[in-house]
Amino acid sequence: MTSDSSLPAAIPSIVQPAPEVSPVPQVRFKGESGRLLLLLPSETEVVSSAATWTDIWQQLKQRLNAGERFWQPNTPVHLIARDRLLDGRQLQSIADALTEAQLQLKRVYTSRRQTAVAAATTGLSVEQQSPVAHLNQPEESGQALAEPLYIQTTVRSGMEVRHPGTVIILGDVNPGSTIIADGDVLVWGMLRGVVQAGAAGNTRCVIMALRMEPTQLRIADFVARAPEAPPNLYQPEVAYVISDSIRIIRAADFSKERLLPPVSSDIEAEE
Amino acid sequence: MSRILVVTSGKGGVGKTTTTANLGMALAQRGHKVAVVDADFGLRNLDLLLGLENRIVYTAVEVLAGECRLDQALVRDKRQPNLALLPAAQNRTKDAVTPEQMKKLVGALTKAFHYILIDCPAGIEMGFQNAISPAREAIIVTTPEVAAVRDADRVVGLLEANDVKRMYLVINRLKPAMVEQDMMMSVKDVQEILAIPLLGVVPDDERVIVSTNRGEPLVLSENPSLAAVAFSNIVRRLEGEKVPFLDLTAPQDDLFSRLRRLFRGRSKP
Repeated sequence: MTSDSSLPAAIPSIVQPAPEVSPVPQVRFKGESGRLLLLLPSETEVVSSAATWTDIWQQLKQRLNAGERFWQPNTPVHLIARDRLLDGRQLQSIADALTEAQLQLKRVYTSRRQTAVAAATTGLSVEQQSPVAHLNQPEESGQALAEPLYIQTTVRSGMEVRHPGTVIILGDVNPGSTIIADGDVLVWGMLRGVVQAGAAGNTRCVIMALRMEPTQLRIADFVARAPEAPPNLYQPEVAYVISDSIRIIRAADFSKERLLPPVSSDIEAEE
Repeated sequence: MSRILVVTSGKGGVGKTTTTANLGMALAQRGHKVAVVDADFGLRNLDLLLGLENRIVYTAVEVLAGECRLDQALVRDKRQPNLALLPAAQNRTKDAVTPEQMKKLVGALTKAFHYILIDCPAGIEMGFQNAISPAREAIIVTTPEVAAVRDADRVVGLLEANDVKRMYLVINRLKPAMVEQDMMMSVKDVQEILAIPLLGVVPDDERVIVSTNRGEPLVLSENPSLAAVAFSNIVRRLEGEKVPFLDLTAPQDDLFSRLRRLFRGRSKP
């Protein structure tokens, strides 16, 4: 944790490897002009780890519990079910869970006929889309990150939070849990689980925590473990990649070193 | 309205069934009508701990199949008439019942009982889903071990996702001497990870084994052990009483160790 004068210059250029493994998509909420979109992972996307209804249901409940504070009561929700097969009972439980969070399920978008029929029977308005249109415009086609995911919760053992953008957690990240973000990961609490930032390959992503006691840190393709001997005083820290390894630095020093414009390094070079 | 609590832990062998038996008995002693439900189909134990094994005629499975009435399956405790046990079937597996059926069973019990304690099986599979589905509150039992706390944390997350939001923590089998020597997780370490309200700490006690084997819950004994007092206190806290936590270090305490602790406490940052 010493300061190194050549730091800013040593930042490696961005490596953008082709995403070999597409990350397991999760249930997501997305704000869009006054309403919320509830996006379910498509059935075809999830091949290896089959996202069953139970998984989807648990993710939905966790997201609802963690984000309640940010939604205005009675916000309309549009369910983007894609090619996921949902029966009437499942749709009803989604609607009930949303109602409990004071959100209203208004409309269901689906490419499956059975889901459309089930939704109509449940009394929801339906829009059936052709599956082809969906395949042609997959959500991951753009390179831009998704809007940050801000959740207020304790991320407990067994939970996995994946997000194609930055993740901000107001709460502890307990051992046994995993956070995987394409952007930065900010933990306003204790970080004790496994955290990966820049999962799509961006080595400039950082991981910040008020108290850094991770099981493992990953940024892009780099992996680091916490030191065997814990420090006797914990303070806010930032993990970032420099010269092909992950380094952890005190948050106060990080802002001085990293966030200053490159001009500062020129000055030091002149000295 | 009656309270429906599930006693759960994730990991096996941390003392769920012992806790259920003792809390059920202690609640009954305080004059409440209590039903303890064994949700561990296929591996039932609660009847043994309560010493009621030889009085079981019907089980929950027969009730659900319509082969008997609910009150026929309930086993009244011979020592404490306020306590009744709804036994699980031993010859079936956990897939023999569904969460809906559990809800129906427990719903029927609420008409006659103030407290319903559900003894949850270890694990987070079907048996767990069955046991938690009727519950409105949960008692999480853990021991001060890394693996037990990790599993308890997972269970807390699953309960949150299943709308059981009122949870209480019981730390079982604490060895104060080991904690003092920094060889065991302390109550504070466990709480720091789980972050749910602490209901009580039960010290490790050999008499628990004796009581388990005899089928006599600790809280029944004439001269209560420290563990029995801890269980009674848990019940009082469950009912909203403010009871100070037991000083578990007290019995083997002398002036020297007290001083030593004082200084050790000081020297730490």
